[in-house]
Amino acid sequence: MKKWVCGSDTLVRLRAAATKLATANHARPIRVFLVLAIVLFPCFAHAYAGPGAGFAVLSSFWAIFVAFLYSFYALMTWPFRQLFRMIRNRNAYGKAKFKRAVILGFDGMDPELADRFMNEGKLPNLAKLRGKGTFTKLRTTFPAISPVAWSTFMTGVNPGKHNIYDFLARDTSNYLPFLSSAEIKGPKRRIKIGKYSIPFGKTEIRAMRKGTPFWHWLGKAGIFSSVIRVPVTFPPEKFSGVLLSGMCVPDLKGSQGTFCLCTTRSSNDKFREGGVRVPVERRNGVCHSYIPGPDSPLTEKAGSEMRVNFEIRPDAPAKQARIIVGSEKFTLKVGEYSDWTTVEFKAGLGFTAHGICRFYLKEVSPEIEIYVSPVNIDPGHPDLPISHPVTYSIYLAKLYGPYATLGLAEDTWALNEHVLDDDAFLAQCYSNHEDRERMLFDALEKTKQGLCTCVFDTTDRVQHMFWRYLDEDHPAARDVPHDKRPNVIPELYQRMDRLIGRVMEQIDDDTLLLVISDHGFKSFARCMNLNAWLHQNGYLTLKDTKTESGDWFEDVDWSRTRAYTMGLNGLYLNIKGREKQGIVDPADAGALKIEIQQKLNGLKDPASGTVGITGVFITGNVYRGPYTENAPDLLVGYGAGYRASWDSVLGKVTSQVFEDNLKAWSGDHCIDPRLVPGVLFSSHKFIEDKPHIADVAPTILNLFGLPLPSHFDGKAWNLAG
Amino acid sequence: MATPALAAFKLFLFTNPLAIVVALSIVIGLLMIVLFGYTSNQKAIKIAKDQLKAHLLAVRLFQDQLHVVVGSYGRILRGTGRYLKLAFMPLLYVIIPITVLIVQLDRYLGSTGVQVDAPFLLTAQVSNSDVLNDVSLDLPPEVTMAAPAVHVPAEREVVWRLAASKEGAYEIQVIAAGQRVTKTVHVSSELARVSPVRLRGHFWERMLSSAESAIPENSPIESVAVDYPERNIEIFGYKMNWIWLFFIFSMVAGFIFKELLGIQV
Repeated sequence: MKKWVCGSDTLVRLRAAATKLATANHARPIRVFLVLAIVLFPCFAHAYAGPGAGFAVLSSFWAIFVAFLYSFYALMTWPFRQLFRMIRNRNAYGKAKFKRAVILGFDGMDPELADRFMNEGKLPNLAKLRGKGTFTKLRTTFPAISPVAWSTFMTGVNPGKHNIYDFLARDTSNYLPFLSSAEIKGPKRRIKIGKYSIPFGKTEIRAMRKGTPFWHWLGKAGIFSSVIRVPVTFPPEKFSGVLLSGMCVPDLKGSQGTFCLCTTRSSNDKFREGGVRVPVERRNGVCHSYIPGPDSPLTEKAGSEMRVNFEIRPDAPAKQARIIVGSEKFTLKVGEYSDWTTVEFKAGLGFTAHGICRFYLKEVSPEIEIYVSPVNIDPGHPDLPISHPVTYSIYLAKLYGPYATLGLAEDTWALNEHVLDDDAFLAQCYSNHEDRERMLFDALEKTKQGLCTCVFDTTDRVQHMFWRYLDEDHPAARDVPHDKRPNVIPELYQRMDRLIGRVMEQIDDDTLLLVISDHGFKSFARCMNLNAWLHQNGYLTLKDTKTESGDWFEDVDWSRTRAYTMGLNGLYLNIKGREKQGIVDPADAGALKIEIQQKLNGLKDPASGTVGITGVFITGNVYRGPYTENAPDLLVGYGAGYRASWDSVLGKVTSQVFEDNLKAWSGDHCIDPRLVPGVLFSSHKFIEDKPHIADVAPTILNLFGLPLPSHFDGKAWNLAG
Repeated sequence: MATPALAAFKLFLFTNPLAIVVALSIVIGLLMIVLFGYTSNQKAIKIAKDQLKAHLLAVRLFQDQLHVVVGSYGRILRGTGRYLKLAFMPLLYVIIPITVLIVQLDRYLGSTGVQVDAPFLLTAQVSNSDVLNDVSLDLPPEVTMAAPAVHVPAEREVVWRLAASKEGAYEIQVIAAGQRVTKTVHVSSELARVSPVRLRGHFWERMLSSAESAIPENSPIESVAVDYPERNIEIFGYKMNWIWLFFIFSMVAGFIFKELLGIQV
């Protein structure tokens, strides 16, 4: 009995010692001693200080125990796994010229700007690469659009073999667009119970991109890869390595990014795209609003949107507001972003969608306005797979906290719609960029051998949105004096240069460093509505006597339409037997293509006399491969300063063909691909005159000593010396 | 009907040790979790836990990279230390009230009273072995000596085997060098606050294990102890000490409340 009351023998001895000390009149040291004794030499009854302590001790023990088991297993089996690999792959690195390849993708880095800034001494690290290794233009794909070019980068083939021609593809049965990279379908089976329709089975995600990324070939040869945010890697595929999906990952609503503006201002205006306006209601000094989420999985009815309510407690004098969403509470000052906040959309019956979003306080007085970013898939609790293995996104979220998972994470639409201003947009971009940098350096540390590749989107988004300040006379910045224009783009290039400097510190001569971009950039000052041109030239007909259509070809008379366009560069013929209401005989299609090509090629902007279209390409001549039939019939290459109009992209016919682009989105690359090559920097010199982005995959395989698959379109570059 | 049922429930709640342990575990589980939530750096604990999980995942994700496995294991050990450090401060706030509480509960739940007619030992320890032969007992009529006293000079102890014929709380007087020290003995099959030992001095030990006043400082007797039988509570056919049940139930309650209240532990 005494034993369990007094505890272990150690404690009995300690207590005896404490008693002796007590008799010597050392009361204070005794107390200290006893506290230490209880903490350091606990008997059961005294050590258990409630469930908090219990959890702490158990969790710690569990973490160490599991780590020990994992490590023990990994260490014990490592020699066998290495042996197995050696037998299977006959030494993966045996013929490799480098132990590691690091590829940094700077989406949209322009070779002319890079050259200019290097010559001005602004980019010392890139200049170092230029001096020591290679700097050249990197030819890009037709069209020069990121999902197309990065798909070619990873597969080493032309779009006719990987099936990606734009962000969007068109459904020939209804002329409506769908996302070209992936198709997401809910579970097929449902059981109806009362008001609920309960889904059974898994959500089906089908990759539309074909071809095999080169890291799969590396993996088969036993070479490990870390692949971070390369576009069109959603859904992630299995291979030997880790991968975090990039561009084309949807938000929780399934869109490519839908922000939300919560406001007390009443307005019937809808955002053109990319966002929704949500009312803020004031009740007893507290404001209430909500974040729109995905549709409920428990009903098949459309418009059954789930919502997360939140509370705003404005403090106008202090220019701040307290925001309460779920169990999270935080205070934001005007012009300040919150951290990523977890939101859960509950459908009932235990169905919950997990997302993260950021709040940005725009105004607290007289009106209240809060921008809520698109709700990203929670990387720490992904409802859809966004990495391979699934635990990789969780690992990164646990290591660095939540991060943007949406493919197009920088909210360009919000800036276009004046919901965010320049500074708020830049803050968002660079916050995402810093997360990406952390991921890159973690991957560099983890991948001492093999491939490490990471794509940074900041270069693309910032150039899209701030080119207006670089142009002498961009219509979107005519009211901003030249001396007040921020140096956003030069600073962007300098930031990327500093990143390269830090990467160069981490690598040795046995590592190949490639810095590439998928395309360059040019001004987007003038819009061209190709549908309007087709309409005015008799290729597209509207119903009745209408002069303009709605979005997605509303009011188009398909029975009298021979050609139409949607998306950024594709032009389609309305072919009989292919399109649902097609009228062009397949036998006449060839002639029609040539006719349109000849008319559009060299088309001038009547306002300035500048050539608006510098090349029209018949895709049958440009692409080779099994998926060529899914391609547009013609690709339109706009001249520098021009691009498809915002309306034309959405399948709308307007009365004007050319107009000024007044949006913040003021730079672009969806033009004649010959005008916007990307960049290629390398730490080692290559002998290659006109490298193409399709050459990267064969070059890497070749440098690791692997045979090249015969279907590759690119060719391996040769190292100098 | 409701009143007798309520009375029966109350009776069950206040006299059944299992019910008492469960009820206390739930209440204490809640209180301690809330206290932990208020006194800890919740954000830092979350980060520390997340990083621990990340390093665990790293071992799994990069198991072919030996340097990652070894490095992650080191980080896990460091992370565990950081996590325990963060848990230590709130632990200090919690440890004093919970220790006092456990000690007090142990008086009721740790032992049963002496059973009627069942022999039990009473041990008196003196400060000087010279007085061992002068130590004697003055027993109430309901308590009898079952065997002669055993002297253990090396331990300065005298041990008596006693037995009680009736339930009740009896005062046994231990006499040494003419001075009397009283020790209460509970003879009962019901829940009672028992004190296994009465001590001279030994403030902290008295706090932790005695429920009686101190023996006077000038007494030659250092302690008088009764070996009450340990109480085991039966649950699902298993008998165990109440502290184990308290540990399990309060952990379960704590886990539920931490989830409900969103507190990081």
